[in-house]
Amino acid sequence: MLRSPHAFLKNTTWSTNPSLVSSRAFFSTRTAQAHRPSWSSTSRRNALAHASRRHYAEAAGKFSRDKPHMNIGTIGHVDHGKTTLTAAITKILAQKGGAKFTDYSQIDKAPEEKARGITINSSHVEYETDSRHYGHIDCPGHADYIKNMITGAAQMDGAIIVVSATDGQMPQTREHLLLARQVGIKKLVVFVNKVDQIDDPEMLELVDMEMRELLSTYNFDGDETPIITGSALAALEGRDKEIGADKIEALVKACDEWLDLPARDLEKPFLMPVEDVFSISGRGTVATGRVERGSAIKGNEVEIIGLGSTLKTTLTGIEMFHKELDRGEAGDNMGALLRGVKREQIKRGQVIAQPGSIKAVKKFQAQVYVLTKDEGGRYTPFMSNYRPQLFLRTADITVGLSFPEGTPDPEEKMVMPGDNVELVCDLVHDVAAEVGSRFTLREGGKTVGTGLVTKIL
Amino acid sequence: MLKRLVNRQCISLHRSYSTAPKPTLQLVAELRKLTETSISKAREALSATNNDVSAALSWLQNDLAESGAKKAAKVQGRVAKEGLIGVCILSGGTGHSSGLGGIRAAMVELNCETDFVGRNELFGKLVSDIAHTAAYISEPVDSEKLFAPCPLDILNDSPLLPSDASRHDPYQSSISTAIRDTIAKVGENISLRRAITFIKDPFPPSSPYGLRVANYVHGAVSADLSQGRMSSLVAVGLKSTNLGALLQSKDFRTDLGVLERSVARQIVGMGAQTIRSDSSNESTSDALYAQPFMMYPQSPEGASVEDVLRIWGREHGLEGGEEPGVEIVDFVRWQVGEHIEPS
Ligand SMILES: Nc1nc2c(ncn2[C@@H]2O[C@H](COP(=O)(O)OP(=O)(O)O)[C@@H](O)[C@H]2O)c(=O)[nH]1
Ligand SMILES: [Mg+2]
Repeated sequence: MLRSPHAFLKNTTWSTNPSLVSSRAFFSTRTAQAHRPSWSSTSRRNALAHASRRHYAEAAGKFSRDKPHMNIGTIGHVDHGKTTLTAAITKILAQKGGAKFTDYSQIDKAPEEKARGITINSSHVEYETDSRHYGHIDCPGHADYIKNMITGAAQMDGAIIVVSATDGQMPQTREHLLLARQVGIKKLVVFVNKVDQIDDPEMLELVDMEMRELLSTYNFDGDETPIITGSALAALEGRDKEIGADKIEALVKACDEWLDLPARDLEKPFLMPVEDVFSISGRGTVATGRVERGSAIKGNEVEIIGLGSTLKTTLTGIEMFHKELDRGEAGDNMGALLRGVKREQIKRGQVIAQPGSIKAVKKFQAQVYVLTKDEGGRYTPFMSNYRPQLFLRTADITVGLSFPEGTPDPEEKMVMPGDNVELVCDLVHDVAAEVGSRFTLREGGKTVGTGLVTKIL
Repeated sequence: MLKRLVNRQCISLHRSYSTAPKPTLQLVAELRKLTETSISKAREALSATNNDVSAALSWLQNDLAESGAKKAAKVQGRVAKEGLIGVCILSGGTGHSSGLGGIRAAMVELNCETDFVGRNELFGKLVSDIAHTAAYISEPVDSEKLFAPCPLDILNDSPLLPSDASRHDPYQSSISTAIRDTIAKVGENISLRRAITFIKDPFPPSSPYGLRVANYVHGAVSADLSQGRMSSLVAVGLKSTNLGALLQSKDFRTDLGVLERSVARQIVGMGAQTIRSDSSNESTSDALYAQPFMMYPQSPEGASVEDVLRIWGREHGLEGGEEPGVEIVDFVRWQVGEHIEPS
């Protein structure tokens, strides 16, 4: 099948309709590419663009794109060995052809990267095991991990907690676990590092015992969480295989087996944001857009949701490029022919989705990052009842922002550029959204914030 | 968990016949819960004291001086530009119910390496105790300036006076000891970067002048709203021949509180540097009085801070004569880690 937009514009069955050819929708849609919610195409491009990532670019040909992908991160006290461990993983997997070895100094720098215009300090490496492809991040601070979550640049699906055997868990290990909870991680793997410095193996049991207790306190599975003990430095220096390389392999295996893959877009219920609507004489109303997730076939029941109305109808045709197809799936730019729907009944900003899979909402709570002026955001703070435009998929809706119930003195609270903050978003129209939906806030043509829905109200 | 412990315990007891002073896991765990000390230190302490937990506790305290100092020396060179600013106001000035009308306030900045430690309770308490100590021990200074830098060597050597007396730790002889102990626990470089105090004796009751302290802290990471990533401390001056009578009114005091907090918030939010701009062709955005008073809820459209203060004073019956009824006499604005080089 031809997958170039040019071919599409030349040969589309609708090309007789000039408004379609010139439509924003089709100029803005590029080649169909699978959209990953997590290690999204944007961040991958960023990572590639970065000079220090060139090594990866050279090696990229080797990676198979067929393996399921997930993002993990290393969290732990400074000095417990996160950077050493990350380097060691790439080293051991490079020996099997699943990674490009990235040495300690390259990871340690934590370069500033831009995701959705937001500056984040984080180091990225990628590697693959027999069954998975991993994106791995190492950030210096709490705020960087939160920004990663909100922007979706590298939403962590799992994490490796690194604890030195000599110290055991630290007071701030609690903050590490709270962070993991906050960014939505359900399962962790623990790497107890620096075992080469332990003379009495009994003490390892104490580390193990304490970690399990703490994991349970923070609602992780304390009993079943895999805890691997080893020495990242030994693995990196290629010595003491039993505590070095072998343990890295055990760690990677534990990640493969214990951490759950995020649901793949293709497996989710069908959803296509409406970018444009046309009426084609003799055929009816066609809505175009890029399928965000799932798949649909001709004849499927669908719902048109948002902006004040919900409508049930049937997908009577799917058109892509010059072909009429039976099926459209995540990543495809398609036109959906809808039975009995008038042109005025559907508009940009709505979604076409599998019935019952998503609801239109008017009010939700969200974690929002407010851009600094250096990031192109506001110069000044805002207070409760600030009303910017909220952009979610193709929808553009005025939103009133306020503080969650229970906030002390909300009328005296302000939000400054650079803040990460929980806000209540009250929309003037409803829009299809759910926990995990991402949006941006804009004002006067510039992006002032980016957010992630955390609760429907 | 308990089962694990018990099993472990049996084996350990068993073994302990052959290798006498070897500390059991349970004792090490117990000691760690009590002190947050590292595993290796906890073991050393128990071995040295024949597995007597209370003796091990004192051993650890004595050892902290040495090992904490060692740890502190090891991390000293590392960049610490995260952390918190903490404010303590023991007495808010004229018209406040606390402290007979005098002012006793302090603001401190304590730095650490990561915002993970900055969010930890141990660190937060240390910040609040240091702010409390600074506000408590400082004396009024005879100077034109209202805010006085608190010399760090004096503060470091002074005993730590916890804001909550139940936290008093007889072993922690000074602030520097308390910092060193926290370094030993969290393993990050921690440094007390700066401290200022605002201490004034009350005006005589008949005086037409009043002086109050206002404050706003932005970016709190816990329920303690007196510490965060940015903060202002503001000296608010009042003048009126019937000041005493006005301050009797609860409504007056409430309105004044709203106004003061708005000014303190304005300074943090709009980044004011000075009160007035000294020359007319200079950019006015840094001068508090020239800024539109965005942070005052009832601010008329476009009114500047100076306008609002004048109107407020008039509407609330402050008779300053030649002088304004309410004015901002001085302020400071701090941000965590500002002007600290990355490495
Ligand atoms: N002995 C020993 N040292 C290690 C091990 N892993 C890391 N280190 C050392 O611990 C220090 C801190 O490691 P690093 O990876 O920078 O920790 P991070 O701050 O968590 O990234 C470095 O000097 C490492 O060489 C290990 O397994 N054994
Ligand atoms: Mg590191």
